[in-house]
Amino acid sequence: MLFEAIAQGYDLFASPFVFALIIVGLMFGLIVGALPGLGPLMGIVLILPVAINLQPITAMSLLLGIYVGGSCGGSISAILLRIPGTPLAAATLFDGYPMAQKGRAADAVGLAVSSSALGGLFGGVILILFAPVLAVFARKFSPPEFTLLAITGLVAIASVSGESFLKGILSGAFGLLLATIGTDQISMGYRFTFDSYHMLDGFHLVSIVVGLFAISEMVFQFMGKDLTDKPDIPLVRPQFRSVLLALKHWKNLLRSSAIGTFFGILPGAGGVVSSFAAYAVAKNAAKPHERYGEGEEGGVVATESANNATCGGALVPSLALGIPGDPIAALLIATLLIFGFYPGPTLFEDQPQIVGGIFLVYLTSNVALLVLGILMTPLFVYVLRIRKSRLIPVILVLCVVGTFALQSSIFDLWAMLGFGLVGIVLRIANYPLAPIVIGTILGPLLENNLRRSLLLSDEGYWIFVDRPVSLVLIVVNTGLILWVAYSTWQKYKASRKSA
Amino acid sequence: MNSFKLVTAAAIFAAALAVNPTVQAADFPDRPVQTIFPWGPGTAMAADQIIADAVSKELGVAVTLVSTPGAGGTKAFRTAMARKADGYTMISGWVAPLVSAPASGKADWTYKDFIPLHSGVAAAFAIATRVGDDRFGSFEEMMEYGKANPGKLRYSSGAAGNLPHKVMAKALQAYGVVAQVVPYKTDGEARKDLQSGVIDFVFVNPGAYIADKDGFEIGLVLSELPAVKKLFDGAQNVEDVDIDIGLTGLGPLGWTWWIVHKDTPADKVAVLQNAMKKAMNDESVKAKLSAIGWTPLEWDHTQYDEIIGSVSTQISSMGDGLIWEEEQIKKLRNK
Repeated sequence: MLFEAIAQGYDLFASPFVFALIIVGLMFGLIVGALPGLGPLMGIVLILPVAINLQPITAMSLLLGIYVGGSCGGSISAILLRIPGTPLAAATLFDGYPMAQKGRAADAVGLAVSSSALGGLFGGVILILFAPVLAVFARKFSPPEFTLLAITGLVAIASVSGESFLKGILSGAFGLLLATIGTDQISMGYRFTFDSYHMLDGFHLVSIVVGLFAISEMVFQFMGKDLTDKPDIPLVRPQFRSVLLALKHWKNLLRSSAIGTFFGILPGAGGVVSSFAAYAVAKNAAKPHERYGEGEEGGVVATESANNATCGGALVPSLALGIPGDPIAALLIATLLIFGFYPGPTLFEDQPQIVGGIFLVYLTSNVALLVLGILMTPLFVYVLRIRKSRLIPVILVLCVVGTFALQSSIFDLWAMLGFGLVGIVLRIANYPLAPIVIGTILGPLLENNLRRSLLLSDEGYWIFVDRPVSLVLIVVNTGLILWVAYSTWQKYKASRKSA
Repeated sequence: MNSFKLVTAAAIFAAALAVNPTVQAADFPDRPVQTIFPWGPGTAMAADQIIADAVSKELGVAVTLVSTPGAGGTKAFRTAMARKADGYTMISGWVAPLVSAPASGKADWTYKDFIPLHSGVAAAFAIATRVGDDRFGSFEEMMEYGKANPGKLRYSSGAAGNLPHKVMAKALQAYGVVAQVVPYKTDGEARKDLQSGVIDFVFVNPGAYIADKDGFEIGLVLSELPAVKKLFDGAQNVEDVDIDIGLTGLGPLGWTWWIVHKDTPADKVAVLQNAMKKAMNDESVKAKLSAIGWTPLEWDHTQYDEIIGSVSTQISSMGDGLIWEEEQIKKLRNK
């Protein structure tokens, strides 16, 4: 039936205008993704008024292009500037930036683009082959399972904390605390809002990420000695060998894409969690000579393939059930509604040509990302040739514009600056910043689903044991925690021996 | 012309602009107008985007939606009210922050603190159960079970304390059923958990119902209006089962009325009202809104006080359903 849908959708899809808009969407997506603050969600919001005046599949080609390009674009600034353009790329800087520092910026960007495209294609194939089946599978995940998945994600903090395990845990706890600010979802009571309406929904995640990473990084760059030096970086050419470089890590690529698709299918989990989870798994599965966190190719492959595979995954519940996998998918659903199409089982039955057209657009967007991204790599890397005295003010202005554009809020700018100061202090004290992002995202997922589970249960915490999937996740989490404890103990012993 | 004359002419022109509202209005708007939208992306945003697009065509400038979710929609209102009242900020005044939040003491404004532009859309609610749930033969049987087993049924309206929650609590109070509400961030998540079997019934709007008719069994349509009953394929409504939820007309429905800050200059308000009226009377706009399950409303600003006043009175008096539910659940926990 799905192949019939694709055949029917081909007529809507096969038009030069659709191809042209995929390219426009991808380029726009790469730009909004790379600019700190803006991201694919904001890009789609900006373009939506234009898109709804186009034909349905033409509009979806523009929007899906932004979705796919924007989900990859954040990695470019993460690799080149140590600033994740979007929270999605927060994990990419672990190895992407060190690669660039070692003179492999073009390789890192090419690898990120290739992994994103291949991960996205993986998610797309899964979407086409199994959308209705996976939508049913996603229904098996309810509050108890989401609670345990959030715990799995928090265990990932241990994996991304580098040498300072305890400091990583403290940073993660800080993120969890930040997540408690705002309106409590269960009681609708206000927490730590200090009578300010700006705080009613807590701090915007983008203010936190841009402040922690971008502002602090710019301050450190400003304090450097090479402010006015012209960087001696040779021009690079487009290199399609980065596809081979990504394929060299095929196991990691497949595993991370599968993780990304899995998290995409589950409404509410999202690309940030998937990229951190994929990174954590890749790091733990690494061979002894692979040094994650120091410019390892596998780190970039894991995070970028996972967060783009999440896009395909997120389209599964969105198209098959009408339940958005993430806020961007919610906007895509809203767009389809504006055109009079109801995402859900009815869409598959009544308008298979629309489903087929969307599948084709999504797959083509990923193939086009591969070509376009690699062709544009020299342009991106050119940023590194700009003097810091010119680059820093431009980036700061972009941070301000990007963060303000989210809600047209001056408060968000103050929050961004505040988190910039926090970022500076934490970096001086050698605290990792990424766990703060994980904590902030997973905090609400953990707290609200735990409380929901207890409301659903007649027998208190036994609900976590009574449900088969939940029980499996308890076993997995227990294993992961024991593994982390064991490897930390081993590292501790090794460090004592060498001392 | 020497510089003194130039400055004088400019000053006179500026003064003329300041005192002559028609000149000002003729220039208004000369840049994009923002509409503060109180929810995240979803079906309500789709409806407001259709309206924004139509108003944009009338005004000749972009009308953008700024999604400002938080605190049951009140963050959006506070954000909009903190802005300059220059006509460049409109508010999509959904019933929850406009009427329901003030009624429950969560906001310090009333609907009279805003200037109406035009009514937007409305959507009805229905209580839906899971298809294939063979524990009960009918919705009435489920209610009988709920009455005999207080606290055993689980339901969700999406966010806690929202309008669907209030209407559902009122209906359950009328049945004498104490059920445990389970809040979710979005109603989509609640519908997913209905399908997965962890909750027993949810609210659905026509859009969600049309998207998956085979996935829901409509138990009770929460409106007495025949047009609403038709949207749910003739399922039983509150009149059929003879329960009184104390809400009629717009009272039990979700709706929006586009509004602006009360200090907005009258000439600019007139421009916006005119544009909205034209947009909402456009047959193609109405057709688009109807196609996605929303009912376009045709009331203009002159009917705001009459319509909202009546709804406000109803909503203010229906908070007792939530209080009753909370008290009954507390009693059960303390047993």
